[in-house]
Amino acid sequence: MLPLKNIFSKRILNEAALTRRGDFRLNVVLMFMLLSLASSCKKDMPMEDPGSAIIELNIPKGFPYPLIPADNQPTQNRIDLGKKLFFDPILSRDNTISCSSCHHTDKKFTDGLQFSTGIDNNQTTRNSMTILNTAYQPYLFWDGGVPSLEQQVLAPIESHLEMDFDVNQVVNRLINHAEYPQLFQNAYQQGPSVYTLTRAIACYERTLFTGKSRYDEYVYENNTSALSQSEINGMNLFMGERGECFHCHGEYNFTDYNFKNNGLYLNYADSGRARITLRQVDVGKFKVPSLRNVEFTAPYMHDGSLATLEEVIDHYSNGGEAHPNKSGLIQPINLTNQEKQDLLNFLKALSDQ
Amino acid sequence: MKNNKISLTLLIALVGATVFFTGCSDEDDPTPKATASTEQKLSFHLHTMVGNTAAAYGVDFQDAGGRKFNLGDFQYYISNIVLIKSNGSELPLSGKVVLANPARRAYELGIVPVGNYNGFKFILGLDSITNHGDPTLYNADHPLAIQSPGVHWTWNSGYIFMKVEGFVDTTLAANGPADLEYFYHVGMDAQKRLIDFSTSAFTVTSGLDYEIGLEFDLLEILHNVDMRTENETHTFNNLPLAVKIADNWQGAFSIE
Repeated sequence: MLPLKNIFSKRILNEAALTRRGDFRLNVVLMFMLLSLASSCKKDMPMEDPGSAIIELNIPKGFPYPLIPADNQPTQNRIDLGKKLFFDPILSRDNTISCSSCHHTDKKFTDGLQFSTGIDNNQTTRNSMTILNTAYQPYLFWDGGVPSLEQQVLAPIESHLEMDFDVNQVVNRLINHAEYPQLFQNAYQQGPSVYTLTRAIACYERTLFTGKSRYDEYVYENNTSALSQSEINGMNLFMGERGECFHCHGEYNFTDYNFKNNGLYLNYADSGRARITLRQVDVGKFKVPSLRNVEFTAPYMHDGSLATLEEVIDHYSNGGEAHPNKSGLIQPINLTNQEKQDLLNFLKALSDQ
Repeated sequence: MKNNKISLTLLIALVGATVFFTGCSDEDDPTPKATASTEQKLSFHLHTMVGNTAAAYGVDFQDAGGRKFNLGDFQYYISNIVLIKSNGSELPLSGKVVLANPARRAYELGIVPVGNYNGFKFILGLDSITNHGDPTLYNADHPLAIQSPGVHWTWNSGYIFMKVEGFVDTTLAANGPADLEYFYHVGMDAQKRLIDFSTSAFTVTSGLDYEIGLEFDLLEILHNVDMRTENETHTFNNLPLAVKIADNWQGAFSIE
């Protein structure tokens, strides 16, 4: 339908320019064009802009193609708009904080701080998670309180500790902006709104994947020299029943996206998943994070309370506190110093090269 | 001459296109509009009260113990409205959601058949499907769209069923100014409450739109709530207080 219509519109221009009398043919063409438009039943038909074409995301080897909502399939215009918004402090009340303030490109989209910092130097109560591979997250945040990437966009904008703004006022700013209205039009065939704003940022975020690690080379390219013997030992510990790390940190993204209490505390200041479910059995449970690039995403845990990977490994080796909700998988396993070193080396082999 | 011909053809083409466009809409014929004599418009006339006074923003009120407080925001959701016909059958006003506030009284509910009704019932709050739907999908003027000020918890993707906030006097003797911020944000699925007026009969008469008059009294909502000590709940962080308030909702409504 689309190419046909374009041909007609070109012909009209040509004929109108060349003839003064070919009215009948012109009229037939004109009528055809209108009818073809009418019968398509689509209001949002993209014109000739190649940026409007749905594109395929470039997925790392071994990863499945992510599920993407039908109304927010990736196009270059949408991705570009989302990227511009992601880095633009226009989202925050005083124009100082953007998404990238807590998700730095040079820190694997985390911020390196214990707690994310919002406007007026407000400290949040949780550690900034990476948004690489976020296309696979079935729900967002440490407590899984938000079911889609689109809806997630609202939370930091409205959080008093983060951007402390009103999403409707963000939309007003965008409507009155010199560039954004046209960019929204190009991307979604409509102007800035809560709907298009949240779609655009989510669309960009779904393009952010981890790269290729030495582990991937070893597994997916059968390059047996990609990992050292210590790293292989660490991998066997990680994937075996002694270490048992893989039960939660399994598969391509090194997470099962489940909620677990890992025995970090006897008493949790942050109730985690229970904040959403209000159930006692969910107290102290947090979403299992991906371990890809874990070397670069310190500090660790939902509250950034462990500064180094060595501390994290010690925590799991010791088996954690005896919280009633603690996962049964986490028991003292008393790793030797060599095993700890092997595990650490393996975790660092999950870094993008 | 040429221009005339083009215009004529344009006209024909446009008519043709119009026919096609019309054909694009749903195939089913809309149900024929009943005449005004068999159906009438039904509305809620909601008076949000503080005791015997109409609730309003920015003025001082007194709680049951004479403690000063004021209102900065007061909004609540009414949904799943069901009319009970005289034969006992139920007529749900499907999809109708009201976001009420003290500044507004009339809330149109829809067109209903004339006749006798045994009563009505509704949910204060939202059913779980609506509660956890995507708020960005609604047009800005819809009650379920993101509001300013907000009544959606963006961090847990659910609506605040009733939001009351302002300032309260927290002096022990209750003789100071209303200067401490208080907030009651009650929501999460388990806190929705069925408000039952199924035996409050009314009649919708031909030729007359009908208004159901209701009062919702904040002093009753805060029955047994000590505003000096119980002045904060986001529901998740103070569930007992949220439940206490939700349990007061039925008693806080009365037919006007």
